[in-house]
This record gives sequence, C-alpha cells and structure tokens, in this order.
Amino acid sequence: MRYRFLFEQMVRRELRRKYQGSALGVAWYVVNPLVLMGAYYLMFGVVFKVAEHEDYPLFLMVGLVVWIFFSQSLLSAAPALLDQGSLIRKARFPRETIPAAVVAVQAVTFASVLAVVAVITFALRGVGASVVLAPLLLAALFAFVLGLSLLVSVLHAYFRDVAPILAAILLPWFFISPIFFTPGDITGNAAARAALEWLNPAAPFITSIRDVIWGGVWPSAPTVLYVIAAGALALAGGAALFRRMEAELAVVV
Amino acid sequence: MQPGEIVLEDASRAFDIRGDRGRTVKELLLGKARAGGPPPVQALRDVSLRIEPGETVGIVGRNGAGKSSTLRALAGIVPLDSGGAQCGGRVVTLLELGAGFGRDFDGRENILLNGALHGMTRAEIEERMDAIIAFSELGEFIGVPVKTYSSGMYVRLGFAIAAHIPADVMLIDEVLAVGDEAFQRKCEQRIAERVQEGVTLVLVSHDAALVERTCERVVVLDGGSVAFDGPALEGMAHYHEMMGTVTA
Repeated sequence: MRYRFLFEQMVRRELRRKYQGSALGVAWYVVNPLVLMGAYYLMFGVVFKVAEHEDYPLFLMVGLVVWIFFSQSLLSAAPALLDQGSLIRKARFPRETIPAAVVAVQAVTFASVLAVVAVITFALRGVGASVVLAPLLLAALFAFVLGLSLLVSVLHAYFRDVAPILAAILLPWFFISPIFFTPGDITGNAAARAALEWLNPAAPFITSIRDVIWGGVWPSAPTVLYVIAAGALALAGGAALFRRMEAELAVVV
Repeated sequence: MQPGEIVLEDASRAFDIRGDRGRTVKELLLGKARAGGPPPVQALRDVSLRIEPGETVGIVGRNGAGKSSTLRALAGIVPLDSGGAQCGGRVVTLLELGAGFGRDFDGRENILLNGALHGMTRAEIEERMDAIIAFSELGEFIGVPVKTYSSGMYVRLGFAIAAHIPADVMLIDEVLAVGDEAFQRKCEQRIAERVQEGVTLVLVSHDAALVERTCERVVVLDGGSVAFDGPALEGMAHYHEMMGTVTA
C-alpha cells in the first residue's frame, strides 16, 4: 500500500500525457466511444439489421461499452511496459503499477460512458431489481480485464509479436461476441449457440451486464458464476505470470 | 540487517548480448536458453562487498567493468544469476535524474510523481516540497510544464527531489555533475550533509577528484571482479595505475 500514491500519480500522468493540449481534453475519452457507437448503430441497426431488439441503440451500446473497455485496455496495456522502458531500467518500483494505471484510465472512461448509457436506459426502460448485481459483475469484469492486461503487457515486453497478434485477434473476436446480437438471433443450432455463449470468455460478461442494465432481468446463475470464476482466474493467472516474468524486465525492455 | 548496511555476496550476473533475443514462450517458461550467437557477457563475477552503515564508497573502473551492474543489482533493478545483494533500510537510487518525469506535468506535479516513484507517500513529499523547490532554484518555473525546461533545469529538479528523499542508503551513478559549477558544488555539499546524517553512500564515477573528495573507501572493479578494496587514496592510486594514467 506504500505505492498507492504512486499508482494515483501514474494514472494522472497517463491521462495528462494523452490529452494535454487538446481542446476537449479528457472528454475525448468519452467522445470516442460515443462516436464509435453511433457508427455501429448505423451499420448494424439501420443498414444491416442483424437482430430485432427493443431500443436497439441502447441494447447495442451496453455491449459496446463493455467491449471497448475490454479491447482498449488490452491494446493499450500491451506496449505499456516498453513505453516506460527508461523508467523500468532506472528506478525500482512495483512494475505492475504501469499496466494497472493503463487499465485504471480505461476503467474511468468505461465507468463514465456506462453511467451515461445506464441513466438513459433506466429513464426509457425502467430499472429492474437485478441491477443490484451490477457492482459484482463490474468488479468481475475489472478483475478479468486487469488480469489479461498484466498478462499481455509482460508477454509483450519479452515477445514483441504479442501486440500485433492481439490486435489481429481482437477484430474477429469482436464480430463473434454477442454485442450487436444475441447468439439466439443468428443461429437456431443449440450447439452453435452454446459455443457462442460459453467458449468466448467475453460473452458472459457482455450478456450478464446487458441483462441487468438493458434487460432488467436476472442473468442466469451459470453466467454469473462464469464471470466470477473468469475474473478470479484471469487475475490470479495474470498476476502469477507477471510476478514470474517481471524480474528481468529491466534487462529486456 | 541494519539500516544502511550493504552486503554483496558472491554476486554474479551475465547479460545476453544478442541483438535478437529470439526466445520463444516455451523456452522462457521452461527456463531454457537458446544456443548460438555471441556468448553472454559476464558483468559481475563473484563480487563480495560488505559496507557498514555510514560508509562512503566510491566504485571506479574502466568502462564495462561492472560498476553500473553492481549498482543496479544493489538497487534490486536487475536480479543476480547467483549470490546475494542486500541493502538495509530505505534505499534511494540515482541512476538518471528526472527519469519518469511527466513532460506535461509542471515542476510541482513532477515532485509528487517522482517522490512516489521512490516510494514516498503524499504527506512525506508535501512536507519536503518547499525545500525541494528552493534547492532546485527553479523559482517561478516550478509552475510550468517540464517540457519547457532546459536540460540543466530538468536535472536540477531531478537532483533536488532525490537529495531530499529520506534514505539509509544512497546509490548514485555519475549524476553529481549537475548544472553549472555553483550548482555542482551545492549538490556535493548536500551529499556531504546527508553523509553527516549517517547515510551510506555508494558512488559510481569516472571523476577521480570527486571520488577522492567524497569517499573514504574505494572499490576498483575490473572485468566484473573486485581488483582493489580499501582506503580511497590507495584505491585511486591503484586505479590510475591500472588505467595507465599515473601522473608523476
């Protein structure tokens, strides 16, 4: 906990470094995802109607903010240790503060955009009792993203192929994730549906968070257990690998 | 281990010098090294040192003798292949001044960030804020982003922060020659004050006069091993002899 203040300072520096000198400043963090959502809505809600859902823009947005948080965190965490190479070679401090600060910045954006989307959704569609699960689901999502970010950041420091591979994987991953559809919309085949729902670790997060915010229904018990397990596993695994590989960071970055 | 005490025991460390490390995930996880390419460079070879609290030790030697590796091992930045490196108490490492400054942060914000990097809490830094600003002689520039600073101002701020961090051990690598002559003198004075307070000092430098002024004890490294360890005057004589720069 001695380094809690360092973590705070790193988050501030990260925010400042990105948006200092731009007119909208930190607001870009919120504007970008909103613009992206508008574009996806045009594409999947108006041009290609993949699925019919009530208040489709909101349906889409809840899934999209979760995905953007997930993918942007991983993409910005991957090169983070290399970017801070000079610091790692010259000073001793807990290395995990670097990827953690990157994820924290993304989490702040995510929370603000999600709050906007949630307020609009609740105003138009009402609030379900299941919303009490939201903090638990979001905590699990954060653990999941943080764990994977620790993993990709330390792997990328050793193997510079990790970031491009990640970028290549995330693109198709987006299209098979239930963001602009539910698995039931695109296939009647039970096996294919189960695969879309369970083999993609991002899917249960998107589905359950959408259930409590957009749907106003309780997510299925297996889904909730899945996200908790996935969050715990990713964080434990990511932290363990980070710990194992961090010693030589000052030599490799 | 007492605060301020430093122990290096049979410390060894080799560095892989292949430009293309070309390791695979599998090799890394299994801990296997790849064959081929130039052999690793042995930066430290069974180095043993015992430094008592409050001692002032200069480490000298030719380029590549293992001076910086010793310091980085002591600082815990680079792990050893074998042997042990331990420093008692709070360690402040000065390998590069201003490393980690946020270029868009102003001087004051960078004091907070840099202090935090050295493990200080907000309260500890705030307490020393005024002293640091006064020492840096930056005046009103303390409130503008450091990207507008001259390189001299940049390192002055870096040194001012480091010089005020509570420490039992200070590890310094060639960063005392900061700013103009007057400021350099001030830096040396500040270091001397810290030594008076009982801080253990380990200084790596090529500046023989500085080492003689600052350190009581000198360790000469050669090819990653200790070639001499003793009083500063004899140590520097040994060093000059080794370098072939003896002046009659």
